[in-house]
Amino acid sequence: MIELEQITKQYPGQAMPAVDKLYLSIPKGEICVLVGPSGCGKSTILRMINRMIEPTSGVVKINGQDVTSTNPDQLRMGIGYVIQQIGLLPHRTIAENIAIVPRLYKWPKEKIKQRVDELIVMMGLDLEKTRGKYPSQLSGGQMQRVGVARAMAVDPPIMLMDEPFGAVDPIARTHLQDELLRLQKEIKKTIVFVTHDINEAIKMGDRIAIFNAGQLVQFGTPEEILTNPINEFVEDFIGRDRVVKKLNLYLAEDAMQPIKCLLREDELQNVAQKMKDAGAEVAFLVNETGKASGQISAGDVAEFGMDIEGLRKRARRRSNAFVQTTTPFPDALSLLLEYDADYLGVLKGEELCGVLSFQGIRKHVYRKEGE
Amino acid sequence: MRWENFRFALFEKAPEALLEHSMIVVITITIAILISVPLGVFLSRPKYKKFGLVTLNILNLLQAVPGIAVIALALPILGLGMKPAIVALLFQSLLPIVRNTIAGLLGVSSDVKEAASGMGMSQRRILWEVELPLAIPIILSGIRTATVYVVSIGTLASLIGAGGLGNLIMGGLSLFRPEYLLVGAGLGALMAIFLDRMINYLEYRITPPGMRVE
Repeated sequence: MIELEQITKQYPGQAMPAVDKLYLSIPKGEICVLVGPSGCGKSTILRMINRMIEPTSGVVKINGQDVTSTNPDQLRMGIGYVIQQIGLLPHRTIAENIAIVPRLYKWPKEKIKQRVDELIVMMGLDLEKTRGKYPSQLSGGQMQRVGVARAMAVDPPIMLMDEPFGAVDPIARTHLQDELLRLQKEIKKTIVFVTHDINEAIKMGDRIAIFNAGQLVQFGTPEEILTNPINEFVEDFIGRDRVVKKLNLYLAEDAMQPIKCLLREDELQNVAQKMKDAGAEVAFLVNETGKASGQISAGDVAEFGMDIEGLRKRARRRSNAFVQTTTPFPDALSLLLEYDADYLGVLKGEELCGVLSFQGIRKHVYRKEGE
Repeated sequence: MRWENFRFALFEKAPEALLEHSMIVVITITIAILISVPLGVFLSRPKYKKFGLVTLNILNLLQAVPGIAVIALALPILGLGMKPAIVALLFQSLLPIVRNTIAGLLGVSSDVKEAASGMGMSQRRILWEVELPLAIPIILSGIRTATVYVVSIGTLASLIGAGGLGNLIMGGLSLFRPEYLLVGAGLGALMAIFLDRMINYLEYRITPPGMRVE
């Protein structure tokens, strides 16, 4: 746990303090995102945690211990640090770069090599090809992977990340974000993550702290912040599409309903009766291997009546109108619009386990919004 | 021009002169490196940066004094021989090395230094493992410039009895023997070119593979 108590940072020659009497308590094992417009003091706060910057007044505590009680170099060795500019040593190979902190800890050579290899693989880089390369031979995304690997080398419980993915292209950024989230599920580190991008904050943060002009404006989970922005600044910062952004927080399984009507492809002529009996608005078809292969809605039945071939064609057109339980709402909505459908089948792996409706999504978001 | 004179200059006089000249150059450059590199490191530390401009200006002034004047000025103070010549030549060789050491160290990207420091490397370690290795090609290029200076100005050192290739040149002038002149000046030029190329190669070899412009 990281606690900032009454932290103030006043740079000489500036009228306003960069950080003003800040209290912030960052829980263990979570990603806490510090977000705000440039110059709001978020990077300064991050850098006060590992004493790259010393506060003018106030105390930073890690697990209850004042950070100034440790020598700054010792302190930093125990905290992962990733910056936007990455800062790989250009004269050292990738393996040597990752080995920097283990070497500071004087690990035996064999252990260092083993750990370096493990990290290169963990970051999804080609071990044999990457190990002996120099940073200038890698792409921006690959370099930042190495940057993250280097910060994790000695498995520090705390990682500080200052706009780590700010300088890589959007596709690589999405990959890096997804991988960090995936890794975090296993490694459960306390991560303090600075960004100016609210979307990144919503995606990455277990908790988000929004700053403006050196002040903490709002601190809460993404859901709390998106649901109840505390003032106009936060509202503006989130943007007009606040509720659309909130869609990112929910997965298909959150609003999934049980399936009422399921039939084999060769039972298509009975679809109207079956749906009526089950009181279902939508029926799903499975093929002979048991795999979900399409859907028929009440509207389709009304439209085609007994035209079984028409129904079959309609059902087949929606043979890909399925999402996984872990698909976020925006992707599901996109599919609904793409297939001009009201319903999507929800799969867990290969198995059909529920139905997600347009209405269901609307209700789920509205209910959360009303809370 | 007589072959006999030429042969005498090249085979009887030149070996000793060349040896003396090499000694002057090697000793001067070694001392210059020992003074300049630490001075450059010192002046590039954030705490002492403010002295940088003053020091560079002083060295610039020293550099601006013509070599022959420095040699002449050294004579009444330090007397005759190799020692005063080396002191005089030192003045000419400090500036390029100090200047390049500072430039090389300050040229190391602040991102790299920030990352190194953020990982817990001490300032001393950053200097030895990050800054100096990255700055060494530029420092070497300063040493190269200084070496070429010293080789050429070193020919004047014979005026105060330090010997070297200057002896051949001066001798040639006073005895009207162009053969001596040719051998002295020619060997001086060859030595300068040779050392320049050699250090240039060293620069290339010492540049970390990840940073070579190929």
